Amino acid sequence: MTGAAPSLEVVANPIEISGLVKTFGRSRALDGLDLTVAPGEVHGFLGPNGAGKSTTLRVLLGLLRVDSGSATVFGLDPWRDATEIHGRLAYVPGDVSLWPNLSGGETIDLLLRMRGVRPADTRREELLERFGLDPTKKGRAYSKGNRQKVALVAAFAAPVELLVLDEPTSGLDPLMEQVFNECLAEHRGTGTTVLLSSHILSEVERLADRVTIIREGRTVETGSLTDLRHLRRNRVRAEVSGVVPDLAAVPGVHEVVTEGRVISCSVDPVGLPALLSALDGAGVLSLTSTPPTLEELFLDAYRSTP
Amino acid sequence: MSVQLKGTLLLVRFALRRDRVLLPAWVGVLGAMVAASAVGTTGLYADARERVAAAEAINASPAIVALYGPILDTASVGELAMAKMTVLYAVFVAFMGVVIVRRHTRVEEESGRAELVGATAVGADAPVAAALAEAALAAVAVGVLAAVGNVAGGLPVAGAVLFGASWTGIALVGAAVGLLAAQVSSSARTVGFVASGVIGGLYLVRAVGDTTAWWLGWASPFGWGTRLSAWSEPRPWVLVLHPLLAAALTFVAVALRRRRDLGSGLLPDRPGPAHGSPRLRDAVALAWHNQSTALLGWTVGIAGMGVLMGSIVPDIGSMLDSADARAVIEAMGGLGGLQDALVFALASIIAVVITCFGIAAITRAAGDEYAGRTETVLATATTRDRVLLAVGGLAIVGSTWLLLVSGAATAVGRGDGLDPVWASLAQAPAVWLVLGLGLVLLTIRSRWAVAGWALLAAFVTVGQVGETLRLPDWLIGLSPYHHVPKYPSEAFVWTPGLVMTGLAGAALLVAWLRFRSRDIG
Repeated sequence: MTGAAPSLEVVANPIEISGLVKTFGRSRALDGLDLTVAPGEVHGFLGPNGAGKSTTLRVLLGLLRVDSGSATVFGLDPWRDATEIHGRLAYVPGDVSLWPNLSGGETIDLLLRMRGVRPADTRREELLERFGLDPTKKGRAYSKGNRQKVALVAAFAAPVELLVLDEPTSGLDPLMEQVFNECLAEHRGTGTTVLLSSHILSEVERLADRVTIIREGRTVETGSLTDLRHLRRNRVRAEVSGVVPDLAAVPGVHEVVTEGRVISCSVDPVGLPALLSALDGAGVLSLTSTPPTLEELFLDAYRSTP
Repeated sequence: MSVQLKGTLLLVRFALRRDRVLLPAWVGVLGAMVAASAVGTTGLYADARERVAAAEAINASPAIVALYGPILDTASVGELAMAKMTVLYAVFVAFMGVVIVRRHTRVEEESGRAELVGATAVGADAPVAAALAEAALAAVAVGVLAAVGNVAGGLPVAGAVLFGASWTGIALVGAAVGLLAAQVSSSARTVGFVASGVIGGLYLVRAVGDTTAWWLGWASPFGWGTRLSAWSEPRPWVLVLHPLLAAALTFVAVALRRRRDLGSGLLPDRPGPAHGSPRLRDAVALAWHNQSTALLGWTVGIAGMGVLMGSIVPDIGSMLDSADARAVIEAMGGLGGLQDALVFALASIIAVVITCFGIAAITRAAGDEYAGRTETVLATATTRDRVLLAVGGLAIVGSTWLLLVSGAATAVGRGDGLDPVWASLAQAPAVWLVLGLGLVLLTIRSRWAVAGWALLAAFVTVGQVGETLRLPDWLIGLSPYHHVPKYPSEAFVWTPGLVMTGLAGAALLVAWLRFRSRDIG
């Protein structure tokens, strides 16, 4: 099958992983992981330290050989077709290590050239300015945040089809995080697919279209934030004028706390109509309903799976 | 214990734990060399006349004196036996001190680990004190082992103790030089170059002193070993000089250390270019770029060493005035035979030194992989083959180049034909095989690459000590260096070189297959 039309590749998911298993000696780093990243989306890849996020990314880069399951990038085998795949993506590792004797500018140009890009044709100057990075410092002299900026400038400077980012903002200050967000939005605007690993929930909540949550090498949840929220309980707080109804008996309503005429509880989507009619009957004065934060989803996902 | 030194003992224990392989290996190999030299010399000469003749022959050659220092008492067995050890091997003893101190001070600062340790409840001077304490322990160990080796080799106890003490002293000086150099630059590599330069410079001062102006030799710690005259009519007070110098250097270094910020150096960090050169475009160019300074230094050093050693060769012949020397030489195959044997011996020594360049290149690649830089390279459109080609090419092409330089320089120094060039190139297959095995270690697992040093040390030890200790032939035969034809003293034969080249090729093939199929990191 040599004559695959480019249009087919656009339709294919940039990343498809199913049932991925990777062991290191006796420890099982990935244990049947599934992950699908659709074209053009920013996909948040969430999990605590040691959940297998970096291992997954390193499998996708063809640095690690898998024990079983399958992984494809652009429909290609990351192990066999690594070089072809890498010509179409840019990667920012979680812990950026630079060559101590190369300047930041030299490192950026080297990484671009190794991706087959001429540094002069890129946005490197503009990005250096925006990130406030001095390219003449030697690798050993950069702080963690600045090392990360070197890798980010190299990744963002030229257009790519896929950005693989491993906790890319962990060393950046809030201002630089803002610049990062802008750069990401610009790339997304041109149709770049992004796989963004993180344990910072607010960041993913802000940037990601869809989220996959993993734990101990296994996928716990995956879907759009709306989907995930839909499955989860809303927090409801209401003040009533009449007799406080007995909500504990309403199916789908949990954690009911009553303080005078103020009721707070959490409610499953199925229990919402019954809750509302009960509150309505009691003469509701005020009502707030808060969708679950990602933090709650996250903790929930962790609690509910063994 | 003062507050500034709090935690020193803990750090010493931690450092010893980290160096549990490096330290015993370094001390052990040096000790074995002393023992082998003592045993070898006492067994080599039938009577005192032969020994005197050999000692006079050494003194008669300015080049040998420049390399080993003179022999003050030609009748002394100990002085003859320790001729190489007193000055030349003292350099390796000094380097041990440099390596230990640099490893636990500047390398730690550059990596940021010193910050981690500094933030705990240890005193500000504790890391430096711990590094010096470990170096001092190693210095005492190497001194004791040298003394024991001498006594075991049948040399007088008093001289053995003085000699051992001089090695302890030179190791202390090396440690202090390392500590002072560590204050100079924020780059651990630059610190290494500075310390090597100081050691090389002191050695050179001694060489000039020993050959032309005796008093000048007092200005270099490498001249003190000879001037101690450990084996006859010793001047024990010379042994005070080493600790005094070490203390003075340490005092300056600590003062500098206290004035500077953690991680900074006396030399300001020079800014680099804002743009990368178009030539720096792939993994191969990167490997050569990162090693270019080192390779230049090696080329200059090897060329200098080659010229110096080459100039020894004709001197060996010029000492034929003495009838005793003539007898010794006749026993070794005549004048021509002796010169040729020397050319081969020099080529084989330099080949081992050159192999170190290749092993260093391989362990550096392992460091890149450990730090995650190899991952960064492989995440671009760079194949694994190219990454392996970068390290393998640098190690093999670089060391072959150095062999050529060494051969050419020796030929220039000797000034009589191209034999040294061929003798040096004849070593290439053995060097390739050792480096091929080093690459196999790297590709099995990056952490295993450091075992390349152990492999090299094992081959050299077996080759140098094996025949003296009458080890079985198969064991000695494991060393590739053992199979290099003894050209020009014997006719050149192709078979061993071709077989070793074939084996090196097989090793590269194994490394290549393995690197294609293993996890990175």
